[in-house]
Amino acid sequence: MKDINIVIEICGSAGEGTISAGEILSRFMSSQGFEIMSFDSYPAEIRGFGKCVAHTRISSASIYSPGKFADVLIALNDKHSISQLSVLKENGILIYDSQPTKPHKEDESVVGWAKPGMISYGIPLNMLARKATGNARGMNMVALGALAALFHVDKHGFTDSIKARYAKKKQIVIDSNVNSFLEGYNWTKENIKKIDPYSFKGITPSMQKEKLIINGNQLVAQAALDANLAFYAGYPITPATKIMEILSRELPKHGGTLLQTEDEIAAIGAVIGAGFGGKRAMTATSGPGFALMTEFTGLSVMAEVPAVIICSQRGGPSTGIPTKTEQSDFNSAVLGGTGDCPRIVLAPTDTKSCYEATVSALYLAEKYQTLVVLLLDFFLSNSIRNIDVPQKPSPKYLDANIAPDKNDLKEYQRYKITQTGISPRAIPGTPKGMFFSTGLEHDTYGRPNYSDANHLEMTKKRYKKFNAVLFEAPAPEISVTDPDEFDIGVISWGSSAGAAHEAVMSAQKEGINASSFSSMMLSPFPEKALIGFSDKCKKILIPELNFSGQFAHFATQILKRPVERLNFITGRPMASEDILQKMREM
Amino acid sequence: MEAIKSEYLDEKLETVRGLDFLQYRSQDLPTWCPGCGYFGIVDAFYKACRELSLKHEDIVTVSGIGCSGRTPIFVNSYGFHTLHGRAIPVASGLKLAREDLTVFAVAGDGDALGIGGGHLPHVARKNINITFLLFDNSIYGLTKGQSSSTTPYEMKTNSHPAGNPDTPLNPVKLALSYGASFVARGYAGNPLGLKQIIKEATRHKGFSFVQILTPCVTFDKENKTWKNLKENVYDLKLGIEEKNMETAMRIAQDEPYGVGIIFQDKKRPHYQEILRNLNKAD
Repeated sequence: MKDINIVIEICGSAGEGTISAGEILSRFMSSQGFEIMSFDSYPAEIRGFGKCVAHTRISSASIYSPGKFADVLIALNDKHSISQLSVLKENGILIYDSQPTKPHKEDESVVGWAKPGMISYGIPLNMLARKATGNARGMNMVALGALAALFHVDKHGFTDSIKARYAKKKQIVIDSNVNSFLEGYNWTKENIKKIDPYSFKGITPSMQKEKLIINGNQLVAQAALDANLAFYAGYPITPATKIMEILSRELPKHGGTLLQTEDEIAAIGAVIGAGFGGKRAMTATSGPGFALMTEFTGLSVMAEVPAVIICSQRGGPSTGIPTKTEQSDFNSAVLGGTGDCPRIVLAPTDTKSCYEATVSALYLAEKYQTLVVLLLDFFLSNSIRNIDVPQKPSPKYLDANIAPDKNDLKEYQRYKITQTGISPRAIPGTPKGMFFSTGLEHDTYGRPNYSDANHLEMTKKRYKKFNAVLFEAPAPEISVTDPDEFDIGVISWGSSAGAAHEAVMSAQKEGINASSFSSMMLSPFPEKALIGFSDKCKKILIPELNFSGQFAHFATQILKRPVERLNFITGRPMASEDILQKMREM
Repeated sequence: MEAIKSEYLDEKLETVRGLDFLQYRSQDLPTWCPGCGYFGIVDAFYKACRELSLKHEDIVTVSGIGCSGRTPIFVNSYGFHTLHGRAIPVASGLKLAREDLTVFAVAGDGDALGIGGGHLPHVARKNINITFLLFDNSIYGLTKGQSSSTTPYEMKTNSHPAGNPDTPLNPVKLALSYGASFVARGYAGNPLGLKQIIKEATRHKGFSFVQILTPCVTFDKENKTWKNLKENVYDLKLGIEEKNMETAMRIAQDEPYGVGIIFQDKKRPHYQEILRNLNKAD
């Protein structure tokens, strides 16, 4: 059986339909049973002809990272595409507009910059679009048509996908898109002599089941609804806004309430208020908003009120780079704030695990009466995967509050010292369960108490329940367990884990004896498992998307051994190719 | 909802729920200075709760930081002492998640108008159904006598020994401009009148704003003293039709201070009603 693994990039100017073309391509390929991972990059400005790139990896086997280089570059806009050529493989395929309305000035034609080994197909994208629709707006569809003709893709299935994409639009919009596609398809079939090796003909992909095409933000919102979220408060910020927009539409249908607040401080304040009321509540933000929320994180931990913050990381510090991905809020999430403040931090390692992580976050926050931070990043929030429909959470995860029994209520101590550190929590409205909560240090009744013995006792209590979380935390993932000794162990977290896994798989094929370790649970961290893994590895490599090696620094304190670091702040997701290269050099 | 909150006889309550049902004061001793105006305020608050026959377990008192922040400790109900300036967001989230509870937010002038000043416009324009009690003594008391957002111009304080250079805010005017649907002014020296105001504020469906004039007996010996305040307040006796914006703005501005309900819009729906209507229409 033949297989295929191809990265296609469409590059254009904002407003040219670059992203929609990428979306149609991914949806169609998913419907054909291929595994897809797509990721768009676009400027922070809404208009202004900025550069847009729709990046899609399509494979008949499992994929774990988006791929660093492209096999195919479709240039809808010559000027932007020239800089994108650096991503095209040396023997890659360039599809460009051979008949632009105005001839390009010298040096401004993308094909003039193509390297000798590249294959260039000139298609009159603009002319064909005008022929089909009367204007240039169908260029993106002409390009998809050309793509379908070149790579032997089912024409009918593809047009169905285009129709589905524009189903809600007027008939004329659907027609002009389909006509543009067919114009591109037919012209290419007749006029282009194919000289590249890529073809989808006769490939039967492994996946046959109905797939969900979804990104991390959508999955987080879906999981929150499935896990009985009752209240959401938030303030718009890239790349987390979509979570609020989805919940704004869906939460009222589930009997919940959404509040758009005046700032992130009010958002987390309202979440803690709702949590105090016994309802599941969360907010979503990014670095700059998380910085404001840090004001409230200590209160959640001190007063033992459940709260969930989704923090989707972008380039930092300060306002930073809003539409680029980075993993530089590790320190802020795990260590930020004042005092001895144990909080739970989870970081999903791929799109699929965003669902499980969100369900866990709401469950753990409620059961352990504390703050849970869920770290996403721009890439996880926005990259699109086709995944199996997630299983809904079991009842255990839907109702986790440990309520006081009759005995507890005889003389209720809200912050009673218990074996697990978890004190039974009365919800307002419970007769005899009345208590007072404060951000001040307090005794077991909640009354302010500043004695040293009490402070020590209560701090211990908060850490006791925090450490207990590890017993039911999602277990770390280790990519290779056999043999029992490795030359290189790659330790990663968050969205870099997929690239690390893929790099290890490739390294194995090259004869490098390696394995990888990643943990969704960042705080408390499964230290024993990490040390156990490290003991089997001669060398340790920690790749992550920040400059200073925030996680490497954290892990080194646990491992007490030197580690190799691999850090990028390019704004692009982690590439397995880069990790593999580093492994070869080690 | 209406029926549950209706008043019924004390004796009836005593037979049903026992004597302590009527005791809204907790067993903790207040930490305020002797002679503090806050004793008068909480006394009025206890009485208002009692006359409204609120169930203890259905009340949540949410506070910020400062002398007023300690109020929930002294109330026999659920209480949450949150962060400096943040009583309003916490109370809003609580009320929106638990419509069945009666939620009071308590804050001082520094708390609500200084550090937390950004929240007031939004809770007012959203008309979230909570009762907000502003303990306004025009000074930072817990940090020992610095100028606050309502400290009179040129008054000597520990942060401005040569005199306060800032023009004070007018809380009632702010609340009116922000679109609060219930605005009142009370005086700590008249607990019975204040009780009446708090009762009406609690009954009001929507955001109710109550500025309570009170002295700080420790850090302000010259301006808003018991003596000066007493000479500078008078009871407003406004009919319903007089509680309009024009009159309200004038009262807000004038000295001496008119005490009573200054403005009320009973027709405006509160936030949850608005959300329900909008989502129904969708």
